[in-house]
Amino acid sequence: MKKGPRHSPLSLDGAQEGPIVLRGALTAQVPGPVWDPLLRWPRDRLTLDLGSLEALDLNGAAQLLWLRRSLGGRGVALDFTQPPPALQPIWDLASRTLGPPPPKPPRPTFLELTGRNLSRAWADLLDLVGFLGELLSHLAGLAPRPWRLRWSATMRVAETAAIDALPVTALVAFLVGLILAFQSAMFMRLFGVDIFVADLVGLSIVRELGTLLTAIVLTGRSGSAFSAELGAMKANQEIDAFVTMGLSPSRDLVLPRVLALTIATPLLTVLADLAGLLGGNLVMVTLGHPVAVFWHELSSHIDASDVATGLFKSFVFGFTVAAIGCQRGLSAGSGPAAVGQATTRGVVTNIIVLAILDSLFAVLFYVLKW
Amino acid sequence: MVGLGACPLAVSGLEVAYPGCPPLLSDVGFRLSKGEIFGLLGPSGCGKTTLLRHLVGLERPRTGRIEFFGQDLWAADGALLDGHRRRFGVMFQGGALFGDLSLLENVALPLTEFTDLRPGAIMAAAQLKLGLVGLSGYEHYLPASLSGGMRKRAAIARALALEPGLLFLDEPSAGLDPVTSAGLDGLIVTLARNLSLSFVIVTHELDSVMAIMDRAILLDKRRGGIVASGSPMFLALESPSAEAAAFFRRGQRGGPGA
Repeated sequence: MKKGPRHSPLSLDGAQEGPIVLRGALTAQVPGPVWDPLLRWPRDRLTLDLGSLEALDLNGAAQLLWLRRSLGGRGVALDFTQPPPALQPIWDLASRTLGPPPPKPPRPTFLELTGRNLSRAWADLLDLVGFLGELLSHLAGLAPRPWRLRWSATMRVAETAAIDALPVTALVAFLVGLILAFQSAMFMRLFGVDIFVADLVGLSIVRELGTLLTAIVLTGRSGSAFSAELGAMKANQEIDAFVTMGLSPSRDLVLPRVLALTIATPLLTVLADLAGLLGGNLVMVTLGHPVAVFWHELSSHIDASDVATGLFKSFVFGFTVAAIGCQRGLSAGSGPAAVGQATTRGVVTNIIVLAILDSLFAVLFYVLKW
Repeated sequence: MVGLGACPLAVSGLEVAYPGCPPLLSDVGFRLSKGEIFGLLGPSGCGKTTLLRHLVGLERPRTGRIEFFGQDLWAADGALLDGHRRRFGVMFQGGALFGDLSLLENVALPLTEFTDLRPGAIMAAAQLKLGLVGLSGYEHYLPASLSGGMRKRAAIARALALEPGLLFLDEPSAGLDPVTSAGLDGLIVTLARNLSLSFVIVTHELDSVMAIMDRAILLDKRRGGIVASGSPMFLALESPSAEAAAFFRRGQRGGPGA
């Protein structure tokens, strides 16, 4: 530092009756507890003699002014004598510049916060619905002229979203199938019905878990990436450039991503189903059931409608994950922090919407007896 | 021993390069006096910001010495000088304020980290620095809610938090309107004169150069180093360097470099 080593450390000399004399260097290097005796000053007036200071910087002057504030709050008047002429300009500058403590910004009440959050959630919902409507209208407009879609971009996204996600999706599904089979087998074995583990695992994976796991993996992997990419483009004004050039971000940027994920999700779901069943099969084999028994049990209780149910859901989930990820990115604010916020909001919204959609599908399929 | 009289910054034989690339600038050397406002000038892409990154220890130079107040920035074993970052403050081009902290918290952060002051004293010191750069009343604002000029002033306040003897400013006037830019120039002069602060300013804004700088060096990418040095008036009118003449004439014509 430019000050310090040449000067002696700060010391406070004096009795309670007379002024306290400050000697040495008064800078940011002063330990905070030095002021503790003065903060407990028992009288209603205190004078600090600054005439023997060897060095003073703005941080040192700020400490003296803070001391005056703190003692003033306790009804103690603090006066200073002038510092040496060489330090006078710094002291004058600090005394002139530092005003009263800035008022704290008012904290919103619980009612205000609730109202603000509800109004934001409502506006968010309207945005999302409007965005989905716009997307569907673009999709409908694309049907008679499919060549207008940016197929190369779509295929590139599909490759990144699907092929690169194969290992992680397969691994997660395999382990979930394995755990599910193991946990249920431990209990069902007590009753000698562990053969039905195959049905339990099969139905759970094919109808529910394979689809849901794939969608959650894609939410974390692709939906968040879409939010971040489009959020960064928004922050860099690339989205504005799109609009001013007469292009449509939802058609040219969002549609390829949504279509890519809508196509990729069912394919990944099939793979996840197979990996989950293999995990279950492995447990069954270790429990002494031959491979053929497991697959025979499966084929006798799981039919095409179960597989179709899962795949239908995966189409919807793929569309939803991509659309919400993109919408959150496009509605990002400005600045680097906005990209992170958009990504978080995208993932959270997606997980909530996936859970709600899955519940609705469960009720719907029950009613339709699928 | 560091003393008040030591030269705030002395650079000699410095070679500036990106890792794995041929040198951008070679044999860069200059010395700063206390309270001096010093400019690193040059056209876009000539390596000004890269030189600044070397000076503040973000990049390691291949050869050469950088001394702050008489102490070498890089020790013989390759380690950065202990506590060197407290010897100077840096204002980056965009301000680089922490977006989730208020201005007061941004300025208070170095004091909280590196001093033992009481929280109230830290807040008073941070408020004082903000007042010094003309941001009284904005203490609780978040950086995102301020204009570019205000963010740059707040960044200067943060750079001043530990009261270093030397401030590095990267393009302080870039993207600012003439009035705000002139206000920032005034602030730099005030700080240099009142607090005896030395400044190293990277810029290609000729108005600022002529208005506030005591001395400057002109860098050139083609020649790979310093092509001219001296006071702005000397560089503009008397320097024998063709690059200096071209740099300053282009600016006066209001051409593409201005």
